[in-house]
Amino acid sequence: MNRSRREFLKTAIGTPALLSLGAPVSAVLARAASAADARKDTVLVAIQLSGGNDGLNTVVPYADDAYARARTTLRLTGKDVLKIDDHVGLHPRMKGFARLLKEGRLAIVQGTGYPKSDRQHEKAMRDWHTAMPEQSECPTGWLGRASDTLCGGEATLAAGAFVGPIAMPLALNARKACVPSVRSAAELTYRAEAPQAGPPEAATGENPLADHVRAASQAARLSDRQIKAVLAGGRGHYPNLGLAQELRTVAELVRADVGIRVFLTELGGGGIGGFDNHAIQRDNHASVLEQLSESVAAFADDLARHNCLDRVVLVTFSEFGRTLSENGRHGTGHGAAAPMFVMGGRVRAGLIGKHPSLTDLDQDAPKHHTDFRQVYADLLDNWLGVDSKAVLGGAFKHPGLLRA
Amino acid sequence: MAAESLDASRAWAPYEPSPACPWTLARAAHLHRRAGFGATWGQLRQALSDGPQKTVDRLLAGQGDVAAFNRGFDQNEQAAVSGGSPEPLRAWWLRRMIQTPHPLLEKMTLFWHDFISASAAGVGSGSLVRGHIQFLRSAALGKFPALVAGVARDPMVLLSLEAKANRKALPDLNLARQLLRRWTVGPDVCTDRDIRQAARAMTGWFVLRDELRRFDREHDDGEKTVLGKSGRFDDQDVARLAATHPAAARNVVGRLYRWFVDEGDAPDEAVLAPLARSFAEDFDVARLVETVLRSALFFSDRSLHRRVKRPTEFAVGLVRALEGTVPTTPLANDLAATGENLCHPPTRDGWEGGRFWINRATVIARSNLAAAMLAPSGRYEGKIDPAALVRRHGHAQAEPAGRFLLDLLLQPADDAGKRLLREMPARGDLPDRLRTFAHVIASQPEFQLA
Repeated sequence: MNRSRREFLKTAIGTPALLSLGAPVSAVLARAASAADARKDTVLVAIQLSGGNDGLNTVVPYADDAYARARTTLRLTGKDVLKIDDHVGLHPRMKGFARLLKEGRLAIVQGTGYPKSDRQHEKAMRDWHTAMPEQSECPTGWLGRASDTLCGGEATLAAGAFVGPIAMPLALNARKACVPSVRSAAELTYRAEAPQAGPPEAATGENPLADHVRAASQAARLSDRQIKAVLAGGRGHYPNLGLAQELRTVAELVRADVGIRVFLTELGGGGIGGFDNHAIQRDNHASVLEQLSESVAAFADDLARHNCLDRVVLVTFSEFGRTLSENGRHGTGHGAAAPMFVMGGRVRAGLIGKHPSLTDLDQDAPKHHTDFRQVYADLLDNWLGVDSKAVLGGAFKHPGLLRA
Repeated sequence: MAAESLDASRAWAPYEPSPACPWTLARAAHLHRRAGFGATWGQLRQALSDGPQKTVDRLLAGQGDVAAFNRGFDQNEQAAVSGGSPEPLRAWWLRRMIQTPHPLLEKMTLFWHDFISASAAGVGSGSLVRGHIQFLRSAALGKFPALVAGVARDPMVLLSLEAKANRKALPDLNLARQLLRRWTVGPDVCTDRDIRQAARAMTGWFVLRDELRRFDREHDDGEKTVLGKSGRFDDQDVARLAATHPAAARNVVGRLYRWFVDEGDAPDEAVLAPLARSFAEDFDVARLVETVLRSALFFSDRSLHRRVKRPTEFAVGLVRALEGTVPTTPLANDLAATGENLCHPPTRDGWEGGRFWINRATVIARSNLAAAMLAPSGRYEGKIDPAALVRRHGHAQAEPAGRFLLDLLLQPADDAGKRLLREMPARGDLPDRLRTFAHVIASQPEFQLA
């Protein structure tokens, strides 16, 4: 019996109120449990870094003369960085990420981007959300389309969710599914006492909509109990940072195993966010990178403690990187390629791909060698088990993010 | 099964109550849910004594001075909606749905909003969105070709379709594609060539600083061939041509069937065909809606509970039935969180709806929303009071009061009603018990069905 089936039966049958309802319930539960048995339970968590992250001061090419020359005031030296190898190192405030790297839980995909970015926040972020840069009017996001696919025939599932205080980003827009947007796991539980509906009426087949609503109500009561059971067990230790609190919510929902396979959360405040540092970048950037690193490290530890880390892969994205040169105001301009981080129990840890050249630039910014849709495709096909060609509208070569 | 025995030729004949299909509280409530946002107790009693056809008369016309009511709301909206945000409009529209003396008109405005699927996202002008919804309301029960022609020249629609510059040298395909594929003949009838030719007819129109402008020099005045007809068409010609095509009649009838009759199963072509033929005679939406609402099929088991309430139907229906009021600014946000963000359909194909309104997260969100709306205080300000309502109808005891709420909100069968009555809290003061019981009813799977 696999883990999710075991959890399912434990949570469902461990509830006296349900047991007392008698025979029809066990039939319903048996059906639901076999559905749970068949489904995969891997989870993808995406973190949006709003504003355009300076990849060059995140995964720092400290040994590169071109970097040293161009970053006159923002330069981080070999003494400053947390060295990964003889060429690059992590920003000194990313101690959590350095530890995850050492523990074999963090991959760094270097030089990601896409052709023809216009380096405008709104359009570029839209492209990363839709993963359809050539379709300016694409109304759905790649995670929303993945959610629609994951719901599939079992539309009682909510397969995707946004966790955070801002409006739900386009990445989760789905054609069909109603995607919940929450700030805490408690929002996905009944506030008042869960309304009892008496013995569930068996699906009659006469009215498919009525059957669907009854099945969803049954599933909702089960979700409610599973989430409340997790919350009653006490809350994990996370730093007092916005992103960390949101990742704690994600971890709670992962542990409750309520069928959410895709999470999105955000750092930087949405809109033109905290990563957009055109002036006096040093302290702002250090602060958001530390928040990212500490929050994700706490998330990883929490999941590991509950034996869930092998079920989760986390990925970061930002609408673009930044220019190599400083702009005279101790800041940087909108650029192109930047690294993406991929964290989880089953990722192929370490650097993936070369650091992009700092002498062969496109309008003062490093060029990408890995299309971000390659990263998406790998995660869709090999992690979520969703056909990436259907979601992305084309085939993209996998960078090999996961261990075989 | 009664549903199967209804043959296609009799489907649209007027409903006449019979022993097999009697005029009951449940059918009166069904009619009010579909033709509006549910009924008050007074409306249900009136309907029972008037019979179905006279009740449909009243729903078609609205009650009292509908025009004056809507003028007042138009003025309120105009004062409230300025600048870029359509948010006050969502709140005012919900308020209008709750208070309107002509619920069918708002229901049809919502139908066309979903049908046209123009989103305020990226439009950047609340006034234009207001103008768009107001136009849909003015055309909601009129002639279909006039509605399509108006929408094709609505600056909000052009902005939402990113069709704000229709140059002679570079005709924008977005508006033509949406007009032919979604609003009229559908993707099986129109070709890519039709879309390109129609786009030429639409050149010359621009939206500049939120105003629709026409530049003659940018209009392609040459001959075009669209849907097999040729001429020196402009945008209005194409709109009329496409909107009066038999395939457009079938498209509207199919969508309206889902809206009023059944969204669970795909409709039988033999059932839709006579309705589509009839609609194609005059493209009169009011007559089409009237035929459907009066029909035997509409009152049959093929239709009862064969729709899922949209979030707006769920919430507005609860407020109207309990004769209360709620602040609609938080309501607009809560409805967005349950999947229906008014003025922001998720794609150009509108809301998928049906079973997709309901998943394990939205079931809980709806229940929590009902709890908040029924709470004696909090963000909905406690302005729905079931106890005051039952008192007005002469019930002082818990059990009859509970039965009253069941008849008003759910019309359950006897045994289901008895079972639910046991869910009423046994202790506490009556107002609290009735609030809790109304919440229990609103959380039932059956209450999610329209």
